[in-house]
Amino acid sequence: MILIKCPYCGERDQSEFANGGEAHVIRPKNPESLSDKDWGEYVFYRNNPKGIFYERWVHTHGCKKWFNAVRNTSTDQILKVYKVNEKRPDLSEFQNTLKSPSGEPSVGSGNFAVKK
Amino acid sequence: MSAINNNCKYISKKQVKITFDGNTYQAYEGDTIASALLRNNIRLVGRSFKYHRPRGIYTCGIEEPNALVQIISEHNEPNTRATIKRVYDGMEITSQNRWPSLRYDFGAINNILSPIFSAGFYYKTFMGPKGFWKNLYEPLIRRSAGLGKPPKNFRSKSTHQYHNTDVVIIGAGLSGLAAAKKFINTKYKVLLIEQDSYLGGVLKNSNKVKTINGLTPQEWISETEESILNSKNITILKNTLVTTYNFTNHLIALEDKFAGKKIDLNKSELTLHKIRTSNTIIANGHIERFISFRNNDLPGVMLASSFEKYIHRYGVVPEKEPVIFTNNSSSLSLLKTLINLGCKPKAYVDSRKKDNIETEIKKILKDKEIPFFSDAEIEGCDGNKKVETITIRQGKSFDKIKSSMLCVSGGYNPDIHLFTQSKGLVKWDKNILSFKPDTPFQKTITLGSTSGNYSFKKLCDEINEKLSIFKTKKVSLDINLNVPNKFSIKELWETKIKNKSNWAKSFIDLHNDVTTKDLKQAITEGFDRIEHLKRYTTNSMGTDQGKISSINSLAIVSKILKKEISEVGTTTYRPPYAPLSFAAIAGRSTYEFYDPERKTSIHSWHLKNNAVFEDVGQWKRPWYFKASENETMHQAVQRESKTLRENAGILDGSTLGKIEIKGRDALEFMNLMYTNAFSKMKPMTSRYAMMLGEDGMIKDDGIICKISDQHFIATTTSSGAPKVLADMEEYLQTEWPHLQVYLNSITEQFSTFNISGPKTREIMMRVFPDIDFSNDAFPFMTFKNFDYKETKIRIMRASFTGELGYEIYISPKFGLELWEEIFSCGKEFNLIPYGTETMHLLRAEKGYIVIGQETDGTVTPIDLNYNWMIGKNKKDFIGKRSLSRPDTSRADRKQLVGLSPINKKDIIEEGQHIVELNELPKKITDPIKYLGHVSSGYHSPNLNHSIGLAMIRGGKNLLGQKFFVTATGKTKNIPVEIVNPVFIDPENKRLTS
Repeated sequence: MILIKCPYCGERDQSEFANGGEAHVIRPKNPESLSDKDWGEYVFYRNNPKGIFYERWVHTHGCKKWFNAVRNTSTDQILKVYKVNEKRPDLSEFQNTLKSPSGEPSVGSGNFAVKK
Repeated sequence: MSAINNNCKYISKKQVKITFDGNTYQAYEGDTIASALLRNNIRLVGRSFKYHRPRGIYTCGIEEPNALVQIISEHNEPNTRATIKRVYDGMEITSQNRWPSLRYDFGAINNILSPIFSAGFYYKTFMGPKGFWKNLYEPLIRRSAGLGKPPKNFRSKSTHQYHNTDVVIIGAGLSGLAAAKKFINTKYKVLLIEQDSYLGGVLKNSNKVKTINGLTPQEWISETEESILNSKNITILKNTLVTTYNFTNHLIALEDKFAGKKIDLNKSELTLHKIRTSNTIIANGHIERFISFRNNDLPGVMLASSFEKYIHRYGVVPEKEPVIFTNNSSSLSLLKTLINLGCKPKAYVDSRKKDNIETEIKKILKDKEIPFFSDAEIEGCDGNKKVETITIRQGKSFDKIKSSMLCVSGGYNPDIHLFTQSKGLVKWDKNILSFKPDTPFQKTITLGSTSGNYSFKKLCDEINEKLSIFKTKKVSLDINLNVPNKFSIKELWETKIKNKSNWAKSFIDLHNDVTTKDLKQAITEGFDRIEHLKRYTTNSMGTDQGKISSINSLAIVSKILKKEISEVGTTTYRPPYAPLSFAAIAGRSTYEFYDPERKTSIHSWHLKNNAVFEDVGQWKRPWYFKASENETMHQAVQRESKTLRENAGILDGSTLGKIEIKGRDALEFMNLMYTNAFSKMKPMTSRYAMMLGEDGMIKDDGIICKISDQHFIATTTSSGAPKVLADMEEYLQTEWPHLQVYLNSITEQFSTFNISGPKTREIMMRVFPDIDFSNDAFPFMTFKNFDYKETKIRIMRASFTGELGYEIYISPKFGLELWEEIFSCGKEFNLIPYGTETMHLLRAEKGYIVIGQETDGTVTPIDLNYNWMIGKNKKDFIGKRSLSRPDTSRADRKQLVGLSPINKKDIIEEGQHIVELNELPKKITDPIKYLGHVSSGYHSPNLNHSIGLAMIRGGKNLLGQKFFVTATGKTKNIPVEIVNPVFIDPENKRLTS
């Protein structure tokens, strides 16, 4: 159970929040002008990286506000939270935090000694 | 024979009686089940998991792999660790996994058959034929292998408690207490957690420490505890076990509120502490490990430090003349303890070379004339259900010694479970031959033997150094020891078996019955990665998680693979540290508290009128009303449906979701959220509308009432209301923040009644004599507001049954009053209440769909022939673009049709398949062509035959064709004709006149 800092309410338990998937996926302004492929990309395709991920959260059992967060998916650390209308933080901000627990390699999972 | 240590201060003199397998025994208050049984010379307490071998008490704590018992007097609680559970007067205990009795267990035949039960036996043996696993093998294995029987149904009153602290100290032993001392009267909020009911750890469990700061260990513990209790910033939790160390320093600990007392079912039995802390100090010590030798599982074999703990902590000497077998220096304190009590070990076997053994040990052995074997090991032990003779190998010679107990010490492992759960890194330490904490991942500090520091003298410096990040004073510890300060150990994991035989067993995992031979075999078969090996052999996968043996197995594997142990690596330590009861996790969220129940304002009336309820989301909705005691559901629904179409019926529709949409841009917002076009819609009219996902699939439906361009009320399905509101809110906040729209859930603000049937207008005129209900004044799909008594009501002309109908909205405060008024007016018109089942039947006759029944997340409005609902001239709405994707415009998509049986007596069942064959073949060789499924099936009392709604591939073009519907338990299919889904009043005459 991780702690999440709602930009409006402060630190609260994870159980008060719901995850909304990848952030910064903007709904196209003129869907009709898009090709089937481009529209399909918008509707069905999302990134799922191991490591730094920009994602959306909503404080469901709180202020009900949507906000964005930068999370390291391999350590579950939330590195930054910011409001929906704020600029997407640059990836370089999080370069020094790219560590996974137990010294696992950054790709794949499992016991380091076992993987060798 | 056992003896008593009268110096023990932790056991009261009060005697209690317990029963074990039907026999009554004397014990003392404060005893665990294990110490009570040892007091009574009971060694055999259970049978093993796989081979049903006799097993005894191996340890004196949470690490116990063998002594698991069933507590009959506590709702039959299974798999209780006898080494932890305290006794009380009248406690009833039985052993587990044996039949007919513990001494004569039929399952022990597995031990004779054991050569075939080697590693991977289940995987290799129970392969086929198909269906045998589910019907034969699994039930058989579950019966013969395993542990206790499930507990009886009981209502737990366990509670959850939340903490937010600065520091949590796990373990109140020497290092934990010394660390806590540093925080006395400081600004830090500290939680000190101890698993036992007494503080002190190693100080109370052994005589390793002679004095601290000039005080006896007991005096020092009392003094420290008192000063901690006087300090307002520190809380002590006793009888509490930290089971889980999560991310962001979140700990879960389980407190046993009734340790040593009979459980009062009216009180909370367990408290689950959920702790959020800034810093965690782990000081929960070490766990002794065993050594594998032949028959190292016989009752009578026990870990040396556990043997010592029974003497000091519980005042019982399990055996006056045991044999001691060790590979390290720590057994000196056990030796001294026994000598002080006038007991004399039968032999002392040390695997270290004579020169490396401490002179103090050699002196005691010489003075007391105890047989001494250095550079020697135990080959194995033998006996009938207990240790009788012990074979010692020294060089090439073998000695047999008669003794009933064997104390083993294979060294100590720092208890790194919680540290690794916190994702800290561990490293191999050659001096202690074990893994110890290295780099922490969170704000975690390990102290004392947990950190791999086995030197008492260095402890004080370690604490002061590691806790220097806190603004606290230094502590001083002046410790005098009974044992050598320098820990010395010789590597020894397994001893050689003299006579190799298929039946000779040297165990590596006592809980899951894994032998050292299984490890070797698994490696030979190619499972040479430790995580694979663990799963293949089930090594260290028991409920004890291999606490006394997992490092041993890594060592044995590394030897076979000719690798360093650090290269082999450890398996993953997962929470919980020890099993915890589901009752504790569930807490109070059981039975009626599991999920809230929502009731409408008419609920009491429904109860009085014999409603049978159905759960819709959290709502309790009347399903049908029983007219008489013996009326079946089918009869009630047929009666309700027929009466409604002939007279009138009323449904409590209060559960329907209602959302108010207000604001400058409400019209634009509604045009974007729903498929329909609302711009040209006149104020005070309503419209049936659909909401799609961005993929074009139907998510929800409802009636939208337009009060003005700035004010709408949307109704939703009963269970979909929260999701629809959340989706609207999401789009407003994230995609269209420029729209000025406010949303409000008003579901609970109104009681809603749906009244319909040909006589409805007459009834309404009777209830509301001042309102003009004529078709011209009050046409279909319009609504109006009226004053009614001291409140206001809204009436809308709408219908979900296909008959003339009105929906009445009123404040719940006046709901029941109006409902009863309607009934008194409707009596002469034969008005009946009806439930959701009748509603479903009537709407199916009319061809109306239900979200979640006709739709399943793969259905578009076009599939339902609802093209008229799509605002084609709108530039955009959610899902619009997807409706022209190639996949959504395919001609062979499943589309809504009606089904009518050709033989009118046949019954069309919901969920059945639609096929081209009139009969299913006896043996199916090729897949049968599947055309679609029956989404709704009812017997229509108004048509007097069965009807169905179905989703069929390319259904729109199949009208009039003949197909077949499968039937439960029959190979002969039902011939049906594809018809228009609207069975009743296709011209909507009843609705609109």
